[in-house]
Amino acid sequence: MAGTSKRSRVPAHWLLIAVPAAVLLVFFVLPNALLLSASFLKSEAQQLTAVPTLENYRFLLTRPLYLEVFLRTFVIGLAVGAIDVALGYPLAYFLVRTRSRWKGLLIALSLAPLLASVVVRTYGWYIILNRFGIANDALLGLGMIDQRIAFMPSTGAIVIGLAHALLPYTVLTIMGSLNGINPNLESAAMSLGATRTRTFFNVVLPLSLPGIAGGFILVFSIAISAYATPAILGGPATQVAATAIYGFIMQLLDWSLGAALAVVLIVCSLTLLYAASRLGARRAVL
Amino acid sequence: MRSTILSARWRANSGPWALLCSVVAFVYLFSLGPILITAAVSFNETHRSSFPPHGFSFRWWERALAPEWINPLLFSLKLGSLTALFSTLLALPLAFALFRYRFRGRDALVALTLGPLMLPTLVTGVGLLQLFQYVGWREYIGFTALLVGHVVICMPFAVRTVGVSLHTLPPNVELAAGSLGATRWRTLRYIVFPLIKSGVVAGAVFAFIHSFTDVNLSIFLARPGEIPITVKILGFLEFGFAPTLAAVSVITLLLPLILVAIVERVSGLGDFIYGDRDRA
Repeated sequence: MAGTSKRSRVPAHWLLIAVPAAVLLVFFVLPNALLLSASFLKSEAQQLTAVPTLENYRFLLTRPLYLEVFLRTFVIGLAVGAIDVALGYPLAYFLVRTRSRWKGLLIALSLAPLLASVVVRTYGWYIILNRFGIANDALLGLGMIDQRIAFMPSTGAIVIGLAHALLPYTVLTIMGSLNGINPNLESAAMSLGATRTRTFFNVVLPLSLPGIAGGFILVFSIAISAYATPAILGGPATQVAATAIYGFIMQLLDWSLGAALAVVLIVCSLTLLYAASRLGARRAVL
Repeated sequence: MRSTILSARWRANSGPWALLCSVVAFVYLFSLGPILITAAVSFNETHRSSFPPHGFSFRWWERALAPEWINPLLFSLKLGSLTALFSTLLALPLAFALFRYRFRGRDALVALTLGPLMLPTLVTGVGLLQLFQYVGWREYIGFTALLVGHVVICMPFAVRTVGVSLHTLPPNVELAAGSLGATRWRTLRYIVFPLIKSGVVAGAVFAFIHSFTDVNLSIFLARPGEIPITVKILGFLEFGFAPTLAAVSVITLLLPLILVAIVERVSGLGDFIYGDRDRA
């Protein structure tokens, strides 16, 4: 290991990385490797056997029930990504451009929801959307409905809850990319006679596309693996990948199917994040 | 300076800007509304979580301070603090190696370090549960397993913030200290560490918050009596809800907020959330 060192000393960087790398290998790489291997093993009587099989994947990818789970998870991811880009873009643009005295506070407020757990943020929507909740009270009070409607459990409620929980991520990514645009380009466009609206659509928007794509993919990849929000605002009829994995592992004790579903989720996430990194997006620190 | 002129011109013709402002107001309402409603509901006098609240009372807050809720809260605080401590201690040498040395396998190490951020936390949770059952560490499921899992998923945050401050530290100061006769250790202790302190603190704060708010990993590794507050709330929600839960939610929201406000005052966090603002 010491390589070129004559005194057969271990290089300094090896000493530095030994312990953290060991921790990551044992408690991150190993568990994921175990999970990968479990997805190719047969489960019998709630125990993993040593029999290799592809049956788990075949089962998940052919049963209409699980295809529906995949489809729902995917649609939720797309919808949440689209909503968060649509809401996050104006906010990010505003925060980058405003000369308000309160700019710092406004940025802090837009990121503050990250300090609350997803459970807490989703609970707010539970209060609003449940059968005896605020939305029903308001609609009844206004006379727009005559009996209470069930807004939840539903896929729509999950989408709203997740869009709310993940909004700060698109704001952060889009702000990053808007800040990277040279203001001179806009001045140039306007001095050549373009209107502000035209400058925005022809100059600013195209230049911030990497931020939009990055934010979308980041939110999509978090949304498809989210557990708490679908568990609270959804139900047995609106299973998503994460709740199905939880069901397999913690309730049915079927490690093989749970692991196979988890591997499918990993593959989706990694593909997306690779795409995002090619687009130059970076993951927010918080 | 240019951007000042630009935005001045933007506002001079205020039609689109006013439109933008109203959209932004709506987005803030969407973003903060549910949280404010939760806070308001916790002061209800009745059993129903109605809004606007009927009457005003602290009765749900009194319930929220009962051992049923305080114990998981203290558990989460302990877990978050230890996670912050250990993930920062592990991240420090790792960030030093990654940002101060060029060596073979560095890219692999970067991938390994960022791995827990890339893979869904839920999957890491399942994997760790399988590891602990498989190796026969079943009795460690609960606090120990949670601590290990949280340290793993929080380490990347700390590596990144420490890395950012190492990156902005001019290498000359170390050379200067060395050329004035300081030993490597003295340079680290008296020059480098004070200069990267805010990065270390920011990393610890992010690790704490990430641990304190985690659900996806904790649902797999908790066990009765050793439950973080988020998992406790989630379990309670399945049976229905009461304003107690709103009060508990507000407490779990306020704790990280207070922590961030204090640290922001003392050493500054903003640069690490949003570091490249002025580099563009």
